[in-house]
Formats: sequence, structure tokens, C-alpha cells
Amino acid sequence: MKFDSVIMGGGLAGMVAGISLQQEGKSTAVISTGQSCLHFFSGSFESLAEPSPRVAELFSQAGIRLHYQKGVRLMPLGSFQESALALEDIDIFPTPQFSRRTLIVNFMGYHDFFSSFLAEGLEKQGIQCRIRFINLPELEPTEMARGEMRPVQIARTMDRIWEKAVQEIRLLLKDEDTVILPQVFGLQDISVPSRIRQALPARVVFAGTMPPSIPGIRTQMLLKKRYQLLGGTFLMGDEAVRAHIHDGVVHSIVTKNLDSHYLEGDSFILATGGLFSKGLKSNPFQIFEPVMGLDVEYAEDRNTWYNPSFAEKQPYMDYGVKTDENLHPFLEGRSVTNLYAIGSLLGNTRPELGSGAGLAINSAFAAVDEILRSAQHDKED
Amino acid sequence: MNPNEFDVIIIGGGITGAGTQRDCAMRGLRTLLIERSDIATGATGRNHGLLHSGARYAVNDPESAEECIRENMILRTIAAHCIDETEGLFITLPEDDLAYQQNFVESCRKAGIGAEIIDPDLARRLEPSVNPELIGAVKVPDGSVDPFRLCAANMLDAKLHGGQVRLHTEVTGFIREGDTIKGVHTRNRQTGEEADFYAPVTVNACGIWGQHMAELAGVRIGMFPAKGALLIFAHRVNNMVINRCRKPSNADILVPGDTVCVIGTTSTRIPFEECDHVAVTPDEVDLLITEGAKLAPSLSSTRILRAYAGVRPLVSADDDPSGRNISRGIVCLDHESRDGLKGFVTITGGKLMTYRLMAEIATDTVCRKLGVDKPCTTATTPLPGSEERSYEAVAQKIWEAPSTAQKAAASRMGTRASRIRTGDRRDDALICECEEVSVGEINAAIERMDVSTLTDLRRRTRVGMGTCQGEFCACRAAGLLAKAHGCVERERKDLADFLQERWKGNFPIGWGDTLREAEYTQWVYKHVLGL
Repeated sequence: MKFDSVIMGGGLAGMVAGISLQQEGKSTAVISTGQSCLHFFSGSFESLAEPSPRVAELFSQAGIRLHYQKGVRLMPLGSFQESALALEDIDIFPTPQFSRRTLIVNFMGYHDFFSSFLAEGLEKQGIQCRIRFINLPELEPTEMARGEMRPVQIARTMDRIWEKAVQEIRLLLKDEDTVILPQVFGLQDISVPSRIRQALPARVVFAGTMPPSIPGIRTQMLLKKRYQLLGGTFLMGDEAVRAHIHDGVVHSIVTKNLDSHYLEGDSFILATGGLFSKGLKSNPFQIFEPVMGLDVEYAEDRNTWYNPSFAEKQPYMDYGVKTDENLHPFLEGRSVTNLYAIGSLLGNTRPELGSGAGLAINSAFAAVDEILRSAQHDKED
Repeated sequence: MNPNEFDVIIIGGGITGAGTQRDCAMRGLRTLLIERSDIATGATGRNHGLLHSGARYAVNDPESAEECIRENMILRTIAAHCIDETEGLFITLPEDDLAYQQNFVESCRKAGIGAEIIDPDLARRLEPSVNPELIGAVKVPDGSVDPFRLCAANMLDAKLHGGQVRLHTEVTGFIREGDTIKGVHTRNRQTGEEADFYAPVTVNACGIWGQHMAELAGVRIGMFPAKGALLIFAHRVNNMVINRCRKPSNADILVPGDTVCVIGTTSTRIPFEECDHVAVTPDEVDLLITEGAKLAPSLSSTRILRAYAGVRPLVSADDDPSGRNISRGIVCLDHESRDGLKGFVTITGGKLMTYRLMAEIATDTVCRKLGVDKPCTTATTPLPGSEERSYEAVAQKIWEAPSTAQKAAASRMGTRASRIRTGDRRDDALICECEEVSVGEINAAIERMDVSTLTDLRRRTRVGMGTCQGEFCACRAAGLLAKAHGCVERERKDLADFLQERWKGNFPIGWGDTLREAEYTQWVYKHVLGL
């Protein structure tokens, strides 16, 4: 199988690259294990300081609305973090004193939403809080398997019965100006969060839960849908295992499922993630890139990989694949000229491109631009 | 009666202190146990969790071997819910001397340990994880014991017999009148509250910290801190304990326990200042992995969950200040006859396996001082929860058709599992998926077992001991603790402390899946939850 570009990794970086290239008329394939860091996405693009029209356009065409406002957002344990760009259902407040009286609503028996922590955090800001639990028959154990009061299970149910939940909440509301609800709405039906906001007579704030993140999963699904609509080939449940590289050029890659049907391309994008996503792997002796054996920037002495204090920044989080100015990674000291490394695979080796979601998007755009530029260049030649 | 007056004060909430309190309380004494941290935080909770058959000591220390096998048989009956009767193997590898085996088996038999030479083929079938290269195998009655559970059950029984327990409370000094210890000054380390307690006898059961406690009372004991490092693997690779059949050495015991297995240990003299902060070094980690893989080769590719270390309370003989003549046996010092200090007894040395015997000896001494003439019954009276031998039978009795989570609860709590509130979603919801711990079980622990922090809760319920190392359950359990204690602010700090404590055992083995998990945990708590 031959594509213009083969993208390894279906997380935020891989999807942004895939969609952008398809939009430019390139044929691409995305190889995805099916899970990505988007499943743990907070909904806020912390390191994208400026609103970029390119980002907004890409997301809005995929049906994902973003909003830009400098301020703070409410964290699941009741603290506040600076934010500027976020998914539409993640509120950004000018100051933490966003309410006078707030009603926090949780589901009976749901432990992945931290209502008491939220209340304590808000009361520190002078916001009066009341916590109430609602009990819906659809969330009874007969309806849901034992021990399965987890975000996705509840969100699936809520897609069906959110109106009933709203009725219950309406009964609980007294003179509160704000209602805080767990972020378990709008998994499949993306209109639900805004419809809840319209249906309640108070401001509605959705606060995060323990992962997986419902807005994150939704974002992932919408990006994938958009990519497929543009004609991209999404290889779900597969992963690249090795590559054929000669003279600093990748010719094809081998995947787990496709066996001898190599994926060929003019260019390749490696967006397999960091240590958590297994884009990088480690053993007691080294940190390595498992698909191609690319050069990785890390400290040799494993005792320097960590900081003994959990709360401190950890050195291992900075480790990543080494790249040249055009994001071409190195293999045994030599750059691979039709390969691009993007996203958290880079660690903090390219701080100018940001971190987290910002790094994913910035590096994806940079790689796409470079691919288009060199294709243009080839044509002119 | 002054509520601060007791017959005996026991300092130290390890297994020796807990066992001594139980024995004293069962003989009718009014007891108070004081622990500066939580239960089982010293050597008690930092060892293999091996129910020694005594075979390991048979050749070099027949006295200890005999003590072990006697206590082994007693614990099987009185502490059934803390024990897994796995049996054990002593294997000879090609690099070991097979001639040692004969001497070993004879020594075992002399000590009363049922040791049976079996064909290496049979050993491979009994324990498929064992190194297939083995050239000899001996089967012995080893097992595994959960020291946290054992400690908690002893303390619970003491309380059921009227005992009082003060955790997170430090002894800051002794109340001394002339040549007699009359009581202790204490300070609660969480609230800062100070209090004095009085008793005609005080027992020093502080393990390696016993030397310091004795100094505080004005007497001297020569102790030698010996650090032992261990690794916990994320899977129960073996079902039987696997030992090397050779002179005891580093990293030659692999013990299965609950869902995991533990390899250890090493032995290094350390200075006293390090006892509170023992760290596992990379060299120790490497040695444990290399030697461990010789017992069970699959260990070299099994994920390691944690590295930890404990400090053995070794005591030097009184006539040997150099420490060359160190005993691993039980040491009970009546400071009245030894040093002329009345009302003070030290119980130390020994090992987890012989805690009950140590408690009996200490209690005999206390009773003699108080003029109490009551026999010890701890060898025949089951601990609370251990009235039935099989946890499956217990679960069946309580729930008829128990779920796996209910079976897990019964295996942890024994017959006391019947006290777990169950039957609706609020109580049955799982907090810890790795170890299958429900809200009901956690609340039962909070209500009855002196839990003030998440780490305390872990020692009593195994919350956060599984493969995720508390990543998901810590936050949920923190919610329950915040509710129980009515203080979110304290719980927020507690959560941070818990994560730091977990990380301490993770970073020395931070590679592979451990590093993945760590990256994820760090990211979730910092960026997603905003702790």
C-alpha cells in the first residue's frame, strides 16, 4: 500500500497532521492503537498562548468548538489553573470568584468526581457551596455492572437520560447562581452540554473527573471522523513495529496486523507519543525509540532519570527523540530526511514548540508545512 | 480511676508491640499501646512476609529453627486469615553444592521441620515458575503471612479486650521517680496535643528504635541496624516459596503473597541516623533482580512494583560491646535486674515469625512484676477474623454466592468480613480495582481500625498496593477519608503525602511499565486533577 504520507500514531499530533495533509489533497494513513493521550485530555490547551486561526479552523471543521479567553479554569480537586484556549464546555473565568453561591451535584455512589474537594477549594475563594447527590434508577446496579460507576459508563447513560438528570437538578436548585456538574455529558451526542446550559436557570460549570475524560474521548472521535470524511485511511488497532530505512530515507514500514503488506510513502510521521504511550520505551539500561531505534536524548545514568520528590519536575519527562530544525529525527547520528517526529515523542527537546497539547499541534503543523514545502520543491525540480 | 492510668504501657506498634498488648490484655491487664507513626511501619511491614518453616536456620541456628517451626504451626491455627499455606521449596542449582542438601535435611528433621527431598521433575511440576535447571529440591512447610493484617488483628484483639491504642503519638520522655519508671510523656504528632500516661510497667517494643527509647529511659542497649532491601513484583509468579538450598545469602528467597511476590533480601550495616529514611540503592536493585531470576527466570521480564527496605533490630550480647557476637534470637531485658531501673522492660531481637513467643516472654515478665498469675492463651486462641481456616468458606457463609470482591474482602478480613456493610451501590462500589476493595470495607476500616491517613488505610485494606500503586484509588479513598474526618484540607495534604510515599518505592525501579505508570500518575495529578 502506497500513500503520500504514513502517520504512526492517532493521538492529537497524528490526527492534526493527518487532517491537515488530507485537506491539502495528500493521501495519508494513520496507524492507531486505538488509545491516546486524548483520553486523558483536560480540555484546555495550556501551552497555546495565542489563539491561532489555523487551530480554530481545523477544530471547528471537525465540529469541535474552542473558545479563547485569558483566565483560570476550575480543576477537579478544587484548585484553579491558568488557561486561555479550551474546548467550549470547559469554562474559563476571569477570576476564581466566578460565583457567589454554587450547587455541586454528584451522582449517588460515584467516586470519580470530587465534590467535597471542589467545595473546599471554592469556599476558599469565598464561594458558598452546597453539595447534593442525585439518584437515578438508570444508574442502579441492575442497570450498570457492579463497580462500574466510571465516567464512560455514566456518560453513555447520560446521553440517553440527561433530561431526567436536569429535572432532578432543577428541583435541588435554590438561590444558587451556579451549578457544578461532573464532566460526563455529551459523549456521543455533542449537543448535550450546551442544551443542559440552556435548560437550567443557573450558570452550569462542568468540572473534570478521574480519567478517562469525556471531552477528550469526544475530541478524539470527532477528529477521527473528520479525518475519515476527508478520505484518510484510519488503521485502527494496529501499530508500526519496524521500518525499512536505507541511506537515511524511510521506504516502508511494517505493522503488527498487515504483516507483509508494507506501508510505503514519500514521507512518514512518527507521532507515537512519549513513555506512557510507548513511543519511547525504557529498561534499566536505556531509553529507546522502539520502532526505528532513533537517537534519543536522555541521561545515561538511570539514577538521574528521576527526582525523588514526586511533586517536582521529573527529568525523564524531558527525554525525547533528537531532531534537526525540520523535525527530522536522527538515526545513529544521521538525520532521516523523509521522516518527522512530532508530539510528546519529542519530550522537551524542542521547548520552543511548547508542551502537551500545544507541542502536539505546533509540531504537527510544522511537520505538515515542511512536507508540503519539500513536495513543492520536488515538483519544481 | 484516672483514665490515663494503666497496668502496662507498650511502646511500639509493630508486631511485637501489638502481640504483647494482645497477650497482656488477654491476661486481664489494662493496656495502652503508643506508636509514633502507624502500625507495622518498621521492620514488621518491611520484610518478605515469609511464614518461615525454620528450614533456613536449621543448619546454623537450630534454636531459631525450632522456634520457627513451633510458631509456624501455631500461626496456621490462630492467624488463618493472615496466612497463605503455600509450602516451600529449597532448590539446588548447578552452581550450588548438592552435598549441602543432605546436611540441610538432617538439620531440619532434628529441629522438627518436615523436610522432604523430592525429584527435580516433581519440583518443576509443583512449581512451574522454578528455575528448570535445578538439580535438587526439598519440600518444607514454608508459607506466606501478611504482616499488616497480622499486626492489625493483634491490635484489634487487644482492643476487644479493653486495650487502648494511640497511634501517631510519640513518647517524648519518661516519668521517672528515683529508680522507677512511672509513665511516659507523649505528644500527638498530628495534633500536637501533649499527654502523660502512667503505669507500673512500660514495655519497650520499638525494634531498632529500641536503643533510642532505652536511652531516653536512661539505660543502654547495644543494637546494630542491618538494612535488608527487597523488591515486589507485580504478579504472583510463584505459588510456593522458593529458597536456595545453600548457606543463607543475599536475595535467595522468593515469597508469593496475595497478588504479588517478593524477592529479598540483602544485609548491610547502616548508621542509626539512616533508620528513618532507608533507601534502596541501584546496586541492591540489580543484585536482587539477578539473584531473583536464578530462582524463577521469569522474574527478569516481570514488572517490578516497588523497592523497599527494612532494618533488622539486631542486638549485641551484653558482654560484647563490639557487636561481633550478634544474636538473631529473642532478647527480653528486665532493666530492674540488669540496670537497676524498675518498671521498664525491653523486648527486641527475634523476628516476625516469633512475635507471639516474644510477646509471651515479655508478658510473662510484666505479669511477674505486677504479681499477676495468669497463663498465656495466645497460642490457642484465634485472632479476630481467624475463627475459620478457609476464607472461601467464610465468604460462602456471609454472602452465599460471593463476588470476587467479596471473596477478596474475606481473604483480607476473615470472619470479620461479615461486618462490612454491603448490598447497595453506595457500599458495594469499588474504590480500588487492583485489589478489589469496596466502599464498605474501607468504611469498616476507618470506623474500627484507627485510620487517620491514606497510608494507614493502605496497611489495613491493601488500597493502593496493587499494580496502579494508588493512581486511581487514592483520590477516591481520599474522598471517603475527607468525609469521615470532616476535613478536606488535611486530606489534600494526605493525598500528596501518599503519592510521595508511593513514588519513594517506585523511582529506584523506574523503567519499563513502572516509568509509564509514574508518568501517567504524575500527569493526571498535576495537570488533569490539579493537586
